[in-house]
Amino acid sequence: MRRFITVLFVLSLIVMVFGTVTAQDDEKVLVVGLSEDYHSLDPNRAYEPGGSQVHHSVYDTLVTFPSDSVDEILPNLAADWDISEDGLVYTFYLRDDVVFSNGDPLTADDVVFSFNRMKNLKDNPAFLADTIASVEAADDLTVVLTLEHPDPAILAKLIFDAFSVVNADVVREHGGTDAEDAAETDTAEDWLMNNSAGTGPYMVESYEPTVQTVLVRNPNYWGEPAYFDRIIIQNLPETSTQKLILEAGDIDIAMDVIADQLPSLRQNDAIEVFSTQSDTLIFLLCNQDPEIGGPMSDPLVQRALRYAVNYEELKFLSGEGADNPAAMVPIGFAGALDPSEGLTRDLDQARALLAEAGYADGFTIDLEYPDFNYIGTEFGIVAQKVQADLAEVGITVNLVPQEFQVSLEAYRAGRQGFSLWLWNPDYYDTLDYVEFLPNGVVGNRANWTDENADQEILDLRDAVIVETDSATRNELFRQIQLYEQQNGPFVPLFQPGVHFAYDANLQGFAYNGQWRVDLTRLHY
Amino acid sequence: MSLHVYLMRRLVLMIPLLVGISIVSFTISNAIPADPTAANLGERAAADPDIVAAFRHKWGLDQPLHVQYLTYMRNLLRGDMGTSIRSHRPVVEELRRYLPATIELATAGILVSVIAGVIFGVVSAVWRNKPIDFVVRILSLIGVSAPVFWLALIGLLVLYLRWDVVPGPGRLDARVVPPARVTGLYTVDSLVAGDLGLFRNSIEHLLLPALVLGAYSAGLITRITRSSMLEVLSQDYITTARSKGLREWVVVMRHALRNALMPVVTIIGLSYSSLLSGAVLTETIFAWEGIGRYAYNAARTLDFPAIMGVSMLIALVFVVTNLVVDILYYWLDPRLRHG
Repeated sequence: MRRFITVLFVLSLIVMVFGTVTAQDDEKVLVVGLSEDYHSLDPNRAYEPGGSQVHHSVYDTLVTFPSDSVDEILPNLAADWDISEDGLVYTFYLRDDVVFSNGDPLTADDVVFSFNRMKNLKDNPAFLADTIASVEAADDLTVVLTLEHPDPAILAKLIFDAFSVVNADVVREHGGTDAEDAAETDTAEDWLMNNSAGTGPYMVESYEPTVQTVLVRNPNYWGEPAYFDRIIIQNLPETSTQKLILEAGDIDIAMDVIADQLPSLRQNDAIEVFSTQSDTLIFLLCNQDPEIGGPMSDPLVQRALRYAVNYEELKFLSGEGADNPAAMVPIGFAGALDPSEGLTRDLDQARALLAEAGYADGFTIDLEYPDFNYIGTEFGIVAQKVQADLAEVGITVNLVPQEFQVSLEAYRAGRQGFSLWLWNPDYYDTLDYVEFLPNGVVGNRANWTDENADQEILDLRDAVIVETDSATRNELFRQIQLYEQQNGPFVPLFQPGVHFAYDANLQGFAYNGQWRVDLTRLHY
Repeated sequence: MSLHVYLMRRLVLMIPLLVGISIVSFTISNAIPADPTAANLGERAAADPDIVAAFRHKWGLDQPLHVQYLTYMRNLLRGDMGTSIRSHRPVVEELRRYLPATIELATAGILVSVIAGVIFGVVSAVWRNKPIDFVVRILSLIGVSAPVFWLALIGLLVLYLRWDVVPGPGRLDARVVPPARVTGLYTVDSLVAGDLGLFRNSIEHLLLPALVLGAYSAGLITRITRSSMLEVLSQDYITTARSKGLREWVVVMRHALRNALMPVVTIIGLSYSSLLSGAVLTETIFAWEGIGRYAYNAARTLDFPAIMGVSMLIALVFVVTNLVVDILYYWLDPRLRHG
């Protein structure tokens, strides 16, 4: 035994002295630090924002956004498209020079297969296809998409990763199907975890869940080849770890930087920082049902809340990059009011409104919230700030922190009387914020229904969901937001900042909310 | 009682114990006032009754609780721990993927703490109340009381970023391709593959996390060893040994230490099983995807099959480690053998 240990010891010493790592040094590799939030690489099941980093590098969609904004719809796999007069039929004309990573040419059948598969898998993104009645191939390069009813957001929805076009033959070969029972019969997910069948600049080389995802350049890519031979996305769940590794030069870009880290990162010349407001909307919800919401169901109290909250200080509390939206449409979306049009704190007004509602002496209320930290926003701290602000108008707030899943369930079931929550866009069109109106997904959670809402807001809602003319749309959204400032069960608090830090020599960085950073455009 | 009979009895007793644990963890994870549907479906999917119904049916959540439990146990006996709701992969496969990382880290951690703890403990007992004793006692106090995430971050900041003597988080350098999988332990697999560079890289990546993870147990073992040694050193038979003219070295190592080790072995056993059951903070900071992170993610998303799988695995780890500790007693203490 003793001799064995000695031998082992000597052996390890030898290794320590002579062994070195064999990395292919001539290769250009981009190493990305990311807190991995995805657990599938099947594009037609795509849902989590982190997964976009992979999907956007590996697959293409019919249309796309510019890399630094979500303001404009650009051609991608579809060179052009027509929209019928009634807004129900979209005809897409595919480029004729697109090939998949295995060399197969792209055809309309691939698009039909991908869209139907996404819809029939009935996974998290399937709701995006809810307005689609049918998708058909008119010829090899023409796709006809017919809608149930006009959907002004359809093009923006088609940009989401879940509408990635896959090679139908290859996916079928590995158990994929677009049949109606795909939810039960499709078995291609396993294969798509470690392989890919897309038209993007990269291919999936390997995926070790919660460790790393490796992409390798697609030799058959139809566009400009990307700079890096390989992209390694390393799972680094802890933001402070990401920062350290970036500073040490072991990763090229850190995707989950938080506001607290910015001052120290800025001092480092070797690192570049990008900061902007995120699309996450942090808000207060008041339940319209008096049984659940108590005094919070009173429209005057709801309005008083909007005057009682200190928006400026909340923004400061959230840290750099944060901003206050003027209503329930976040800054950055078409038709959003300018932040300068937002409400400002007016304690006299708030007190007057409370007195009018019969609460001159205030009242006591529970504030329920998920006790967690969302990209640097500590919900407990925001709740304390709300508590302090409302105390000034006589409202005593009891903080009721809850375990995330427990709180989420109560919130979704509409059982919370007064709560603090967040909303991330499902797709990049302002229409997503109709969910904050009566009978919308979030509206329902506040029990704001067609029955208890004003006719005014119902008319605005019904008009905007079918309006396709962008000027008219923006005007309708404007009126909706002005209405929201005075009425309704929500108080918009702020949009936290979103931050990235990367090697100062890295070029081509651009951010948009949809896929965040296009890794394929980065280069040294 | 002979060792064989003793072992048999212990092994048989393990069965009701594990069944009990399975019932308790199954009940507790289902008693949480939250729904895996909400945890695993997105905002919109969870609002669609069809999708929710399909989800509940797919994962058997529409069955009564006792039926779910019996189904689970029936499958477990066949070695099937179900499929993870979160990742859609078999739980057995996932545990097999994450356990080696934890074994590697926990073993390195326990090695660090046993070596440091026993040496420090003996040194400080032998030189009681001398300067070295004070130094060791302060160190062990730090080890026991410093929060592990703090130690980890300070360790990274100083040893990795400033001095660059250890590599960053992760089990290997990001740009390095892991060895072909044999055991899942990178240290072993790299040797099997005959790649010394890879072996070195994996050892280097182990150093700091092992040090951080081992710090608490090292402090604990130091303190236990010290007090146990002090007690033994004051016994009559030590005086006898000394008066026989034995060298102090022999007295301490052969006569005192062996007898002082009994309580230390208990602590080592307990520490090892708790390290093996996962160290979420250390694993998170060092991007070391092991059982701790897996358990955390499973609990966070109410992934019942994964929660059950981890619970059963950790229960097994504790039961087996306790058994090994008892066997060690048997070997260390002749009274148990001949009594």
